[in-house]
Order: sequence, then structure tokens, then C-alpha cells
Amino acid sequence: MTTRIAWVVGVVLVGPALAGRAKAAAQDSQFGIRGLGTPGRGESVRSRSTGGAFGPFDPLSPLTEAGLADVPQLTATAMQSASYRDAEIAGTTTALRATRFPLLNVAGRVHRRLAIAAGFTTYLDRSWDVTLRDSVLLRGTLERYTDEVTSDGSIADLRLAAASRLTRRIAVGAGLHLLAGSTRETAERRFDDTTFHTVQQLAEVRYSGMGVSGSLLLGVAPGLSVIGWARADNRLRATVADTTSAETDLPRMAGGGMLFSPSPSVRFGGSVAWRGWARAGAGAFDTWSWSAGAEIGGGRMPFRFGVRGGQLPFGPGTIAPTEFAAAAGSGRAFAQGRALLDVGVERLQRRGGGLTERVWTALVGLTVRP
Amino acid sequence: MMARRAMLIAGVVVVAACVERVSAPGACPLFCPSGQIQIVDTVLTGVISGDSSFRGYVTAPHAPLMLAADLPGLVDGRPIFRINGSGSRFVLSAADTGAILGADSARLQLTVARRDTGAHNLSLAFYRLPITLDSTTTFADLAGPFTNSLVKRVNLDTLLARPGRKDTITGDSAVVDTLNHVLALSLKLDTAAARYVGTDSGTVAYGVRVSADSRASIGITKALTWQWYLRVDSAGTPVARTPGSLGAAFASFVFDPPPPPPDSTLAVGGVPSARSILRVAFPRFIRDSSQIIRGTLTLVPAAPVQGVPSDSFVVEAHTVFTDVGAKSPVIVDATRTDTAIVHVGASDTVRIEVTNLLQFWASDTTHATTLVLRAQQEATSFSLIRFYPSLAQAFRPALRITFVRRFPFGQP
Repeated sequence: MTTRIAWVVGVVLVGPALAGRAKAAAQDSQFGIRGLGTPGRGESVRSRSTGGAFGPFDPLSPLTEAGLADVPQLTATAMQSASYRDAEIAGTTTALRATRFPLLNVAGRVHRRLAIAAGFTTYLDRSWDVTLRDSVLLRGTLERYTDEVTSDGSIADLRLAAASRLTRRIAVGAGLHLLAGSTRETAERRFDDTTFHTVQQLAEVRYSGMGVSGSLLLGVAPGLSVIGWARADNRLRATVADTTSAETDLPRMAGGGMLFSPSPSVRFGGSVAWRGWARAGAGAFDTWSWSAGAEIGGGRMPFRFGVRGGQLPFGPGTIAPTEFAAAAGSGRAFAQGRALLDVGVERLQRRGGGLTERVWTALVGLTVRP
Repeated sequence: MMARRAMLIAGVVVVAACVERVSAPGACPLFCPSGQIQIVDTVLTGVISGDSSFRGYVTAPHAPLMLAADLPGLVDGRPIFRINGSGSRFVLSAADTGAILGADSARLQLTVARRDTGAHNLSLAFYRLPITLDSTTTFADLAGPFTNSLVKRVNLDTLLARPGRKDTITGDSAVVDTLNHVLALSLKLDTAAARYVGTDSGTVAYGVRVSADSRASIGITKALTWQWYLRVDSAGTPVARTPGSLGAAFASFVFDPPPPPPDSTLAVGGVPSARSILRVAFPRFIRDSSQIIRGTLTLVPAAPVQGVPSDSFVVEAHTVFTDVGAKSPVIVDATRTDTAIVHVGASDTVRIEVTNLLQFWASDTTHATTLVLRAQQEATSFSLIRFYPSLAQAFRPALRITFVRRFPFGQP
């Protein structure tokens, strides 16, 4: 049985690495090109399949810490996503594909009342590739050219968290977040007139930042829990060749959720979050997001579904772009419950500034309890 | 059970092997990066200084071609060459030699590497010259022989018009090599034209004059071949013998008038070949923090380019390993050489794209930022161009540079 677990772990985690395409990043978006990037969701496959509604309560989703208090044993989870995105603007649709490896989290108990977790998730995805045809007047002649500006990489949120159940009804948690990552960025311009040599510039941009978070989980009634969380990040420093090229204020965040379990095989959840991205500067917006979902059926193969909506932090104009998604998924326990394979699918639509993105995302997650 | 598991794993692998595709047309400026590629185009007029011109890099004896020209008012060029003989006796067998009685004839094979196909009645006249000619021989030294020692005349137009391009009477023939764009001539010199003088060891020397209705200018390669057809005394009986063919022991050309002495202008080309050296004060802000995408050296001719229309030539701009003046060693590397075609008679501004050189300087700041201008094939034509130097403020050489500033990477 242990061999079987190792085999599945290998397929899910090592396979993408061997293919050389997976990146530790979330699903990206054209809306993030002009801003800091596309924020990651910080949710496991189980939470994502419920639209994110279970995220604040999920000990393996690095959104909150208080949920960790109920982790029964050492547990590790990882997920992979493959997105198929159509970006439509001005009647032109571009099909985009991406495979991501956005979450790895390990949690376990170190004391009867204390659980800790470490792992990473995507904070901001900065992978994009923009091509542009235009012309410029040079030496008295209109020179046509093709620009290609790319960014490949992301900023990861490395979290160290601890949680404790103070009483039967109250659990608290706190986390320290180290933001780190890098992008390989290129800017290229090819002139139709080859007398002008091709412009090729590249840079390795490194990012760093810090953040802290805390959360409180209350059991208000049998089968009914609520949670509140808050997080503050300081500044994101971008460094090119040991020189700071930009420092950007990062958001304060707060949110809450509710989980209702009328029976052991039925759970309903809902959550809401506010993120103060407007601090990041021009073109950034404070955002609200919400989600609602359910998990039905216990045992070896539950069914999950949910919806979510909200705003995106970066976009053109004066109004934040919006998004809406519906998700569904399931899970399968095997190896006597020591391994869980979660799968999900999400349909997402983003709108704003004349751009519409429609995304299908396939999610695969593996949780191991050795 | 196994089938379900296999399907599950297959699905996982399919998802894992998804192809990455993130390239999208930009909808700018709304959905493009805030940073832009910034291009700057500037003309630097004061960065070239310390320019000077030198002559004598490739002289007529060292030129790859012998230049023949009859351009009244411009130049009169005459190829000269010497064929060393094999002595006064001929080896008949391993143990026997015989005195060379004389030559029945000889055949000269030469290649016209460059000619103006618009020149009509193009003729070559061969003159017998003193066998003492060498690299010090001048045009004036040979004035007499070139007047009274004509041994053969060939009209190339007439020869090329004959069937098979052969003249059965004179024994001359021609082959047009359309691939290499050359004309190979095989000319017969009779016993009077090709005299084998034993006391001179059979050494002969000839000169060539070219003529045409107009624009008489050709270049003859120095790889010519001479074949003797001898009469040898074999035990009192004259016998015909054909020794091995010979090449030119000396080949050059003389011309008149001689090149003008160097002046303040920047000369390029001509014979002996002239080069110009320009020293460039390459701005540090471009060199250190920009990417050069185009650089153009602008040179204003001080006079129309001299030469015949068919003698348009290519001016090359090189950089040097180190700047030691006239003898600066040139870096001959195709990736670090920029060129421009100069048309004879034109007086337009010459622009040489020197992007490769500027990029080379930017990539290695230890190199001397010195330009050397020279003809691509030095001393293969009389064409010469003279540019205004940096002292001529209104027409001084200038450098036009198009460069890109550093892209603002890492900025949202």
C-alpha cells in the first residue's frame, strides 16, 4: 500500500517537474499584466471545488491558521492545476494554456494543543507573454515592428503557521509569511527593416516581502462554526541585479466564513473576504470576494460544488474587473484512508475593460497521511 | 478496479502534460506592461576626431590584379609582366641536352577578371619590354617600349563575335566564364612576337595597353600562363619541343599620373591604396547602459568619386586591435566589419552602417574605439574617394546612433 501511495505521489508531483512545464504559480490572467500580477487563491483542491467556501476552515488551505488546530496527524498535500483560458477582446479570442503547481502544505501536531504547518502557495502569478505589432517614426521613415514582452515566474507565499484549540469551541492561529520569488523577464523588438537590429533585453527580477496573519475559529453551535481572519503584508521589493527597481505596498486583508454541518455527510459553507489592494498604487483596487459551496456524502467519495464571485485587484479604468466561477469536484480515499486524491473542475469568467476571460481549470490534489 | 485506477492515473498524466501557451496579442495600453521599449535616435557630430589618411598599404606589385586603363584626364594604366626563361639548352633525355635554337611560337593565357561590358572595341595591345623591369620601374621608364615595341593586338569584341570565340587565323581564343564573370583569353604569339633569346636565358617581358571607344578599363589576374613552343638542336637536327608552362615571375602595372600627395581629406581606395583612420569618442551613456540597434557613419565626399563607372567599389569600416596610427592592426572579421558601396562619379553623402562595430565596442569596453576605412579589395581599381575631415566643421564625419534605453524590468 505504501508503494501505491508513493507511486501516485510520483505521478502527481514529479511528473510535471519532469515535463519541465509546471511552475509554482496559480492560474494567471491578462488582468494581472499591468499590475503586480494575478493573486493566487491559496486553496486546496477540496476547498477550490466548493468555490472556495471551505477555504477558511480547511487546515490544508493556507488561507487561515485556526483550522490547523484540528489536524489529527501529520498531513501533506499538494495540488496541480491545468487551465484552458480564452481571452477575448475587441472580437478577437486567444486561446491560452497553462499548467501550474500552486500549493504544497505540510501540517501536523507537535503538542496536544498545538499544531503547526509549513508550505507555500502562490501569492502573485507573473507569467505572461504579450506580442504587439506597431510602428514608429525612425529617421524619417515609418518602421514597423513586432514587440514581445514576457514575464515568466511568480511570487510565492512561504508560510509558517501555528494553531491551538484553546477550548472546545475556540481555536486560534497565527502565521508568518515570507514572500519570495523571481521572474525572468524579456523585452524584444523585431523590426521589419533588418537594418535595425533586434532589441533583446532580459532581466532576472527577484521579489521579497513579509506578512503576518491571524485567525479565530468559533464553534457557535453543534455543527455550526464561524471563522474570522486578518492578514497584513508589508511591501513587495523588486530587485534587478542587486538594485531595487520598485517597492510596492501590499494589501491588508480580512475575511470570515461560516460552516454548517447538519449531518456528518452534509456540509455547507460560505465565506467573504476583503483585500486592500488599492495600496499597490494606480490601477489597483480594493476587492471583495464571496463564495458558497457544499460537500455532500461522506466516506470514500464525497461530491463537492460551489460558486464564487468578486473583484480582481488590477485592471484598466476606474472600476475593478469582476469574476464569477462555478466549481465541482470529488475525492477518493485509498490506502486505508492514508491517501486522498481530490479532483475538481472550475469554470471561471472574468470581465473588465473590454476584456473577457473564460477559463476551464482542471484540478488534481493529493493528500497523504503517512 | 485496475481499469479505474489506470483511467485515474491517465487522467492525472494528461493534466500534468498539458502544453504551456501564454503568448497573447497585446491590447495596449490597457492590458500591456506599463514599461515600454524606448528608442532614441541621435546624431553625434562632435564625437569623431583625430582623423587622418594614409597611403601605401597595397602597392601595384602586391595588388591581386594588373590594372589596364585608358581614361584620358584620369589615368593611363598599363600591366607589365616578366616570364623568366629556362636557359639556353633543353633537356632532350636523361643523358642528353640540346641547344635551344629559338621559338616557333608561344601561347599566353590570361584572365580578364573585370571589364566594362559597355566598352566597345575593347582591344589589348602587347608590347615587348626590357626584361629588367621590377617594382621600381615607373611609367616614364617604359614610355619608349610602349611606343615602338608593339608585338600583338587583339580586339576582344571581334574575337568574342567569332564562331566558338576562336580566331583560326591568329590562333587566339576566348572563353566566357559566366559563373565567375571572367573572360579567359588564350593568345598565340608568333615567332616574331615571342622571341626566345638564349643570351637572356629565354626571359621575356611584356606590357599591355588597353583601348576602347570609351571607358577602357580592365583588370587582369596575375595568375597568367606562358607556354613556349621551341626548336631544339638534337644532334644537328632541329626538333620541336614543348617545355612545361611558366608563370609570371613578376607582374605589376604602371600608371600615370601618379597619385596625388596626401592632404587633409580622408582618402579611401586608389593605388597605392589609401586608408583613413577615425577616432570615435563613444559616449559612455550609450556604451554602458543602452542597446545599440543601428549606427550609421555619415561621410561627406569632398569631391565626386574618381574612376570609371564599372569601377564602383565597396568601402569597409573596420575596428582595430590597438590604435597605433597608420599601422594599427585591423580586425578582419565579417561580424565586426561594416560596408557601403561607393559609386564612381557620385558626390552624395556616404552612409556606412556601423552597427556591428558599435555593438562590439559596447560589449568590450577595453577595445580602442577607432575606425579604419579602406577599400574592400585594395588596389584593384583606380577609384578613389575623399571625404571631408573633422576639421571641416560643416561637413565633418558624424555618427548617427539609434539605441534603446534599459527596459524598466520589475516595475508594475
